[in-house]
Amino acid sequence: MSTLVVLWKEILDNLRDRQTVFYALLFGPVLLPLLIGGGLVASLKQATVSFEHPAPLAVRHADRAPNLMSFLHANNFDIENAPSDIEGSVRNSDVALVLEIPDEFSEALRRAQPAPLIVYVNDGDKHSAKEARKLNAVLNAYSQTINALRMQHRGIDPSIFNSIEVRLEDVSSDGFRGQILASILPFLLIVAMVMGGFYLAIDTTAGERERQSLEPLLSLPIARYKLVLGKFLAVLFFVGISSILTAISLYLVFQLLSPEAAGGILSFDAQTITKAWLLASPLVFFISAVLMTVAATTRSTKEAQTYLGLLMVFPMAPFFILQFINIKSAGLTMSLPMLSQYQLLEQIVLKDQINPVYVALSVTGTLACAALLYLLAVRLYSREKVL
Amino acid sequence: MIVAHDLGKTFVGVPGQPKRKVVAVQSVSFNAADGRITGLLGPNGAGKSTTLRMLATLVTPDSGSAHIDGHSVTDNVLTVRQHLGFMPHNAGIYPRLTTRENIRYYAYLCGLDRKTTAARVDELVQLLEMEKFADRRTAGFSQGQKTKVALARALVHRPQTILLDEPTNGLDVMATRGLRKIIRQLANDGHCIVFSSHIMQEVAALCDEIAIISDGNIAMTGTLDTLLDITGKSSLEDAFVTAIGGEV
Repeated sequence: MSTLVVLWKEILDNLRDRQTVFYALLFGPVLLPLLIGGGLVASLKQATVSFEHPAPLAVRHADRAPNLMSFLHANNFDIENAPSDIEGSVRNSDVALVLEIPDEFSEALRRAQPAPLIVYVNDGDKHSAKEARKLNAVLNAYSQTINALRMQHRGIDPSIFNSIEVRLEDVSSDGFRGQILASILPFLLIVAMVMGGFYLAIDTTAGERERQSLEPLLSLPIARYKLVLGKFLAVLFFVGISSILTAISLYLVFQLLSPEAAGGILSFDAQTITKAWLLASPLVFFISAVLMTVAATTRSTKEAQTYLGLLMVFPMAPFFILQFINIKSAGLTMSLPMLSQYQLLEQIVLKDQINPVYVALSVTGTLACAALLYLLAVRLYSREKVL
Repeated sequence: MIVAHDLGKTFVGVPGQPKRKVVAVQSVSFNAADGRITGLLGPNGAGKSTTLRMLATLVTPDSGSAHIDGHSVTDNVLTVRQHLGFMPHNAGIYPRLTTRENIRYYAYLCGLDRKTTAARVDELVQLLEMEKFADRRTAGFSQGQKTKVALARALVHRPQTILLDEPTNGLDVMATRGLRKIIRQLANDGHCIVFSSHIMQEVAALCDEIAIISDGNIAMTGTLDTLLDITGKSSLEDAFVTAIGGEV
């Protein structure tokens, strides 16, 4: 009963604190996914060449190469007339590209000479550069088709010129890009959790001491462990809410991510995000306990902010470690809080098989650490020095 | 009722010197009866707050014993806290909660039900004349208003024994007079009140019994008249200085 009273009071009290509300409900869950997730998605979209979607292409003298035009059209280019000032309009990004067919093009083609084509591109404009890569690929294909036809015409097998054929087989579930995208999910979830409980944990412990409201509170007829439990549950509440909101906003952000941008191997659908949140949920307990315990050892809010600020490095550490070092999933690393969730969540996003033993290890390991830290917090609160 | 016998407390570690021992209270013995106001009078650093903290079960005494209404402060902690209302020297109220919410929080923590709490909060708002700021958040309250909220909180579970640590600190004349009236009323209602202060007039005006504390020891106890008789002085201030071993 008294635990619930403490829980209720701390929630009410801190919902009235702008700082807590901003960090718990806005910063972690909304701003971070938008800035980091959204930024990543946007840059991926920009760098990814889409051959499926029709795109306009400005061509000068399209009538000089009707076969090329139908080949381009078949490859999702909608041919348009080029503006009169070609260089100016490409430079000003009025059009992405201009393809010019010189006068001698058809003549050179007929005489089996290299036929010139001019592509005007603005390399400083990402969109223009991307469209140029796409056009180049299509023109190469056209050139190879003509080469093959010419050789066949002369009775030569076209493959004679392909002395080596390199086949690259990527055996990872996805490439580097997928890896980064996959690790962004645990990263953002964990950072949101820490930010969500950060100010509340400081306020209910060091803040209470600083306001000198702890002394009368501890003189009330209520057992210390109930008091600490109430405060812990309040931190837990905010950390939990933060993580749920973050999961939702990540889902929305990744809905913008078309499957081809992620190579079609990542999955960010509702089911994946739900599973990922469930796998990460033991961290809600662990992170709440860490925040409470660390804040309980400090004498002032300033001190608490310093220590917890340093602590913010921890959720980021696995992110960077896993970027540079390949850690083999093993019993030990799978029972460590944060490190295990990072690996499990990555596997979920990359649609790898998840070993149920690892899930069990991760959950028990994390909850056990949370319980130990909670007991430590109760001990800290039972000391006379807590005042 | 409070019976304190030979209480002692030594703290280890001060800022910058973690191993240094500080004797906060050496030997404090005094009794405080129901229906009377007992003043704990002493200079800064004499051990008043530590004594009150030991009585309030916040700090465990190293030596001696203390009983609140017959319950030991070391063995029956939760029972003692039921009998005790403690107001530390800073109000320590929650700035983002209203007056009523501050009081209600303590009422619920003390196990009062909703109905009793509502009635008790109304009663305290009236008793301490807090109608004007009862529904305002306490951030920005004057010291007098804060003290009233803190006192209401300490009284919410109708404790028999009330400990007040320098309650008039920072109050203006009118607020002090108002608080004195309330404290007197509580004593007349049969409560045992212990009141710490370093202000002579305060103690002389209000207390039925005075315990002079100096360097962690009780130097002298008795009514004002007794203290004046023993020391042969005409004012509490002179008696106090004599009692703590100074030159008048």
